[in-house]
Amino acid sequence: MSATAAPQLELRSVTKRFGGVAAVDGVTFEVREGEIVGIIGPNGAGKTTLLNCISGIHRLDGGDIRWRGDSISGMPPHRIARLGIGRTFQIVRPFGSMTVRENAAVGALFGSADARRRPREAFELADHVLELVGLEAKARHPVSALTIPDRKRLEVARAVATRPRLLLLDEVMAGLNNVEIDAALEMVETVHATGVTVLLIEHVMRVIVGVCRRAIVLDFGQVLAEGEPESVLRDERVIQAYLGERYAKRRRTDPGRDGP
Amino acid sequence: MIATPDANARWRRMFLILGGILVAYALLAPLTSLEAAQSANVPLLADRLWFRIATYIAMFIVLASAWNIIGGIAGYAAFGNVAFFGIGAYTTGMLIAKAKWPFLAALPLAPVVAAAFAAVVGLPLLRLRGHYFAVASLGVGVAVGELVQNIDYAGQPVFGGATGLFLPIYSIENRGLFFFYLMVLAAALAVAVTWLVLRSRFGYGLIAIRENEEAAAVIGVNTTAYKVAAFTLAAALTGLTGGIFSQWNVFINQDNTFPIEYNVQMILMALLGGTGTVFGPAAGAVLLQLLIQFLGGTLPISFEIPFVSENARPIVAQVILGVLLVVVVLFVPRGVIEFFGGRARFSLAYLRRSLRETSL
Repeated sequence: MSATAAPQLELRSVTKRFGGVAAVDGVTFEVREGEIVGIIGPNGAGKTTLLNCISGIHRLDGGDIRWRGDSISGMPPHRIARLGIGRTFQIVRPFGSMTVRENAAVGALFGSADARRRPREAFELADHVLELVGLEAKARHPVSALTIPDRKRLEVARAVATRPRLLLLDEVMAGLNNVEIDAALEMVETVHATGVTVLLIEHVMRVIVGVCRRAIVLDFGQVLAEGEPESVLRDERVIQAYLGERYAKRRRTDPGRDGP
Repeated sequence: MIATPDANARWRRMFLILGGILVAYALLAPLTSLEAAQSANVPLLADRLWFRIATYIAMFIVLASAWNIIGGIAGYAAFGNVAFFGIGAYTTGMLIAKAKWPFLAALPLAPVVAAAFAAVVGLPLLRLRGHYFAVASLGVGVAVGELVQNIDYAGQPVFGGATGLFLPIYSIENRGLFFFYLMVLAAALAVAVTWLVLRSRFGYGLIAIRENEEAAAVIGVNTTAYKVAAFTLAAALTGLTGGIFSQWNVFINQDNTFPIEYNVQMILMALLGGTGTVFGPAAGAVLLQLLIQFLGGTLPISFEIPFVSENARPIVAQVILGVLLVVVVLFVPRGVIEFFGGRARFSLAYLRRSLRETSL
């Protein structure tokens, strides 16, 4: 794969409206193969809606999404998954009647063109993926026996088992404590090291700074800022969007205080 | 008290042995002649009535197992599967009665026509979820029966109308035996198909759809195609039994091929035995069909319900079935096989837990 090739994922003025509200409003950015890109933004900024647009759950009201140069706008979710775009859900959606291992295996049974195995091989791949995310000891457990951090791991495992080229992570760190976040960060880096591009939505700033090379800030459905995480987080408009105008003003007059 | 894996294994073994003996008896007893059985004082399956009931049980094993594919494995509560039964019955019935086809040539078309119908109505219907799908499918079940009875062409009812359709009697020695084994064959096919589905990628895809349709879609399951395929497969099996029924019963009309109560019964059987399992619906079909016949007073070992006259008996039977439905849903949402496997019992704690699990 040459560096001059088309970006892996390309969004051009992507728009999604719910009634009169534009949840995603003319968003344009691209993701290159092998990157870890973070999307941040206050609640209701349209982050999850954007992921739903990419994975085909929402139909676009405007703009275009391209995957390796070809438009995927209007494709049903299963075809987008087969192209190699995997995702997790913010509120985990495990297959409750299955064991941990079966959940991961279903990802390998279907998934991208690289996955799609017969049941026996799917279970082998599932074991491998569970090891990768650190769930191998709980492979035979029912999902109901898992803790919240483990359920988030399972959500990632199932997506990774589909053998994606691009993994969309929707707030996998939300609700985790600091120790758990460290473990989850390590997991994301392990997955990335296997050659998977990662686009993640996060609220926890530490994650964005710790793992992303590039961050995109969304506010009211629009791209507010884009660039290296450290510089983006110092951006005046970003601080305003997150913490309100008053805080930004105070910070201007008293530059000694910590950023967000 | 928590049941140990050992205790579970012991229960399972006992069930398998007991079930095996019963199935072997049910299959082999009809081969003994009526006279021989009477003189040997074994009244059971050699008796004509029992024999008819056993054929019905095999029929309901197919209906419940077929419903299980769409309702239990894919999680789409279809309430109109009886339409496929009726369509199968009328396909075979019309070909035999009007086109003079031989039975064995007409039978294979019953599942084909039923499946084709399911594929056509399934595409729009399966876009609905939950209660909406249940109600819409019930509507289809009722509508098809009414259509079949009321379609006229040039003043003549096309499908026999309210009079129904009379088929020539299938000339074969031991007709009862032939249809019993044909129905048992269909039941074995239904159970085998369920077994295959649950071990295939198709089955895992259906379970994923049942557990969370959106999550299934984003891992690459073509949810629309899978749902329609499950619906079509259920329709084919149901239509096949309809076809067998039409020639077995010789006479078909709206009442005996589109009975609304079959919808409830096949679902209750699958629930009773355990939805989503291989043998659950079959076990439920045996238990519930015996109970229905028992309550209806058709079994040789019968009883008198106190304070109830013979005429009110069918109504009381319906009431008891309704109560049973409530009890099953509350106490054995995972079916009798699990219940007697030792993982559940009648306690307030278990009731609370099963309510929590099933109300999600």
